Amino acid sequence: MAKPDSLGQFEQLVLTAILMLREDAYGVTIHSRVEELAQPKKISLGAIYVTLDRLEDKGLVASWLSDPTTARGGRAKRCYRLQALGERALHESAVTARRVWEGVAEAWGEDWAKEWGKGWGKEVG
Amino acid sequence: MHPSKQAELLLGILIPPACREEVLGDLYERYRSPLRYAWDAICIVPLVILSRIRRTSDPLVVLTQSLALYTSFLCAARIASPKLLVEPWGLLRLAAPVFVTLAGIALDDAYAHPSRPSALGPIRAALTGIGLALWSQVLLWAGASEFSIPYATMAYGCALSLLLATGVRILFPPAGNQLRGVTAPAAWLQQSAAPLPAGLLRIAKGMAPFLTVLLTALLAYQVWKRAVP
Repeated sequence: MAKPDSLGQFEQLVLTAILMLREDAYGVTIHSRVEELAQPKKISLGAIYVTLDRLEDKGLVASWLSDPTTARGGRAKRCYRLQALGERALHESAVTARRVWEGVAEAWGEDWAKEWGKGWGKEVG
Repeated sequence: MHPSKQAELLLGILIPPACREEVLGDLYERYRSPLRYAWDAICIVPLVILSRIRRTSDPLVVLTQSLALYTSFLCAARIASPKLLVEPWGLLRLAAPVFVTLAGIALDDAYAHPSRPSALGPIRAALTGIGLALWSQVLLWAGASEFSIPYATMAYGCALSLLLATGVRILFPPAGNQLRGVTAPAAWLQQSAAPLPAGLLRIAKGMAPFLTVLLTALLAYQVWKRAVP
């Protein structure tokens, strides 16, 4: 079985956005979802295209052209979905992120983790 | 509210055909005002072009091609104007058409239509590159002739370049010129048009730059030996 490359932070965000959007993952929607995930950073749509191309070259995502729609001036969307390799790479990244979180919480104490968790809850809510 | 036809037409020319459809569609969907559309286009189009060049260019093949092109111009200078080889900056002046040709080849690959293969086949990109190199020399001959190379050297160099660059492209076809598939990984797509089996192609690609470096060094030594008394 092929081993996935380790992912950069931006690649993780793009893969997470594709995973969350399911069938509706294409340039514009992926860009808005990545902007939400990367707050307060501003993300350029061009950077999304470059990353999607790179992820496709690595075999982590697959793409296809949908039917043209009038909302897009009669043009098709390029839709994306995660490949098995992409899912595995994202899973590995999530496990690593969890380990980082646990390590930080252990070092800075449970009170800090609870406090930080509350702040995070507010931000998300 | 939607963008003007003229703006879309202009962008359609600038965006490589392989991703034109989805990029123009996304820009249409994001349209709020002409200014925002122009700003989006300025931010997106250069990155899309660079990404396409990255996808269609293989660094090893580019290296082989650049060495082959430089060898061509070195040979041409040896035949037509040996003085150029010992002049100050002579060897650097010979590199200028090589860079322009390489840029032309990279752009031609990036703008090749994935579903409409050219009738000219592997010679087309080399012709585009050499055409651009000739134009750049015409501009230099007109404006700054001290940086240009002599007509005869340019003519011989272009003919040899066309031969060698086409040969390299037949052996290592450009990657990503195929239609992007639904599920097929790009690495698999990149190998599908190659005339050699995948393993052999990888070995040939790895060895080609070294062989070309060896050839260029040998030629440069011969030229130097004859030029310096």
